[in-house]
Amino acid sequence: MIELVNLTKEYKNVKAVKNLSMFIERGEIVGLLGPNGAGKSTAISMLSSLVEPTSGDVRFENSSIIKNPSKFRKIVGIVPQEIALYEDLTAEENLHFFGRIYHLRGAKLKQKVEEVLEQIGLSDRRKDVVKKFSGGMKRRLNIGVAMLHDPEMIIMDEPTVGIDPQSRNYILETVKRLNEERNMTVLYTSHYMEEVEFLCDRIYIMDKGDLIASGTKEEIKKILSSENTIAIKADRFNKEFLDALQNHPSVNRITIGEREVLIIVPRAVNMFSEVIKIAEEYGIELVSVDNKAPTLEDVFLHLTGRALRD
Amino acid sequence: MIGILLAKFKQFIRSPWTFVIFTGMSIVMALIFGGSTGPTNLKIPTYTEQGVDNSIKDILEVEETMEFSYMTEEEVRERVSTGKAELGVILKEDSYQLVVGVDSFNAGLVEQAIASAYMERNLEQQILEVSGLTSTTEQEAFIEDMKEELSSPVFDLDSKSFRGEGAFVYNSNLQHVFGFSLFFVIYTIAYNVLPILIEKRGGIWDRMILSPIKKWEMYVANLIYSFVTGYIQVVVTFLVFRYLVGIDFNGRFVETLLLLVPYVFAIVSLAILITAIAKTVQQFNAILPIVAVSMAMIGGAYWPIEIVYSEILLMIAKIDPLYYGMQMLTGATVYGHPFQEIFVPLSVLVLMGVVMTGIGIHLMERRHV
Ligand SMILES: Nc1ncnc2c1ncn2[C@@H]1O[C@H](COP(=O)(O)OP(=O)(O)OP(=O)(O)O)[C@@H](O)[C@H]1O
Ligand SMILES: [Mg+2]
Repeated sequence: MIELVNLTKEYKNVKAVKNLSMFIERGEIVGLLGPNGAGKSTAISMLSSLVEPTSGDVRFENSSIIKNPSKFRKIVGIVPQEIALYEDLTAEENLHFFGRIYHLRGAKLKQKVEEVLEQIGLSDRRKDVVKKFSGGMKRRLNIGVAMLHDPEMIIMDEPTVGIDPQSRNYILETVKRLNEERNMTVLYTSHYMEEVEFLCDRIYIMDKGDLIASGTKEEIKKILSSENTIAIKADRFNKEFLDALQNHPSVNRITIGEREVLIIVPRAVNMFSEVIKIAEEYGIELVSVDNKAPTLEDVFLHLTGRALRD
Repeated sequence: MIGILLAKFKQFIRSPWTFVIFTGMSIVMALIFGGSTGPTNLKIPTYTEQGVDNSIKDILEVEETMEFSYMTEEEVRERVSTGKAELGVILKEDSYQLVVGVDSFNAGLVEQAIASAYMERNLEQQILEVSGLTSTTEQEAFIEDMKEELSSPVFDLDSKSFRGEGAFVYNSNLQHVFGFSLFFVIYTIAYNVLPILIEKRGGIWDRMILSPIKKWEMYVANLIYSFVTGYIQVVVTFLVFRYLVGIDFNGRFVETLLLLVPYVFAIVSLAILITAIAKTVQQFNAILPIVAVSMAMIGGAYWPIEIVYSEILLMIAKIDPLYYGMQMLTGATVYGHPFQEIFVPLSVLVLMGVVMTGIGIHLMERRHV
């Protein structure tokens, strides 16, 4: 649907985005993950034709958005990182205003405003001025405004920054629902890896203007390392069993808890059958043996040597 | 565009405080300064004994810097002794008496005025006696004629009192109404242009850019809004002074209201330029008072430009929209200039407005988006 080709943005003394290439297919939820200053917002601004790239191109349906932005602008909704609302107006008045600038009028406008208020769960607060809203409510309205003109694609720049967990879940569920019910394409920016992990089919990870990883969740996690973490659960362990694990040539590290033992083994080795065999041998009744999945946080740590959030 | 204007005015009604404060400020400041720095009249309680003829009162009436109010002798003495009045006067048939309080700076001045009034009266009487006219109507007509002749004398003797006004006409009331209105409206207008900066940083502007609305509509809506609020402010201020305070705009009230149009336009464009230069609201808040106050000082808002003799300041004034605003308004009212003379500052303002709007919008567009 949309493709970024070698996008670069240089400001006076920073290269905010370097040679970024990515694509988004119709109906996908794509995550853009990165710490503060990674260049996410800059990338999004270029993608939505608000900032002109220093070099590179953004292509939508075989034409350049930079040269001819109007076609893309019609079908895209933007949720800016800031709360882009009139604080002195009510929720309803804000929706009316932004609906109007999309040339919605009369009954159509009214119906759309109703619908959006419903979707973002602010129907009963419609008459309150935005100034008096909680952070979460402002964020929801910020998203609602972007949906008034029924966009095919929505671009969200950190829509959950600084809000309570309930509002956050509400927003995540809303995004998921929009995608499932309306086949809305979503580009979701965040520095919370668990959000991206929950929502997204594919993920791009940026750091200091560079794209450092991309792919599906699974693909990205594979980057992580050549190792696997296996969690072994049982009601009780005995010394012989633990010794056998510890001395096993494939086990690099072992962490022993009361009812759970974690072992780290090379990815190439199939450790499951080994574990079961040893357990039988020493009379341990296993509850479960699981591959403990690495998180994106671990990936980021691995790639940059730094944590995603400071 | 209508949508943007509607939203702007809705917000204006929700929080009109900037507007209210600066309108109030311009009214209050003009009242305070208009009342205290102008040549004030000396109020003199006066008692007239029986037999003092009215021609003395008439002559004193003409005295510009003194105001004689008539009352009983006791009242006159009481006012002076309680310090309510600096001095009082008791007028007798052929002489007068000054009732002077502890320290009266003006006793000499008042005495001089009264003495010359008696002298003038005596002169008139003597002339009448010589003329031999008997009927009062004839006498009055004769005196009138004589005064007329005297007022266009062969030799022009110019005399000035020490409170005299020098070479330029100075109307303290109008000076301050104009000055403070033109000064404070800069703030109202600027703070109504400032949302452009805030909306740009806050993403509202981005949202509008992505919508089908045109760029020029966004700018024009903002310009119209700032213009209208600024214009309403000066009109309200002028209305207050015209109808509540009762200042007569020398019969050219409507003209002054019309002349405000190019001035307000120029200030809107100046505000756009400042907004374009400032990167943040803090910078804007720092720049604005510097610009506004120096414009007011140089342009003659606080004091009349006529008392400024520095060549440099007068040269700088030539690029100050407020200077032209004052020129137009005082030109039209105090000096009663015809339109041709006001046309020059008017066109300068329009030109400034167009140029500054152009540069301002160009800078804004280049800096962002
Ligand atoms: N208009 C600008 N002028 C100069 N530098 C800029 C501008 N916008 C962004 N930058 C710089 O570009 C870099 C990337 O900024 P960007 O806002 O894209 O990061 P981000 O990933 O969105 O970060 P955050 O999570 O904090 O929102 C930063 O170093 C920033 O200082
Ligand atoms: Mg950002």
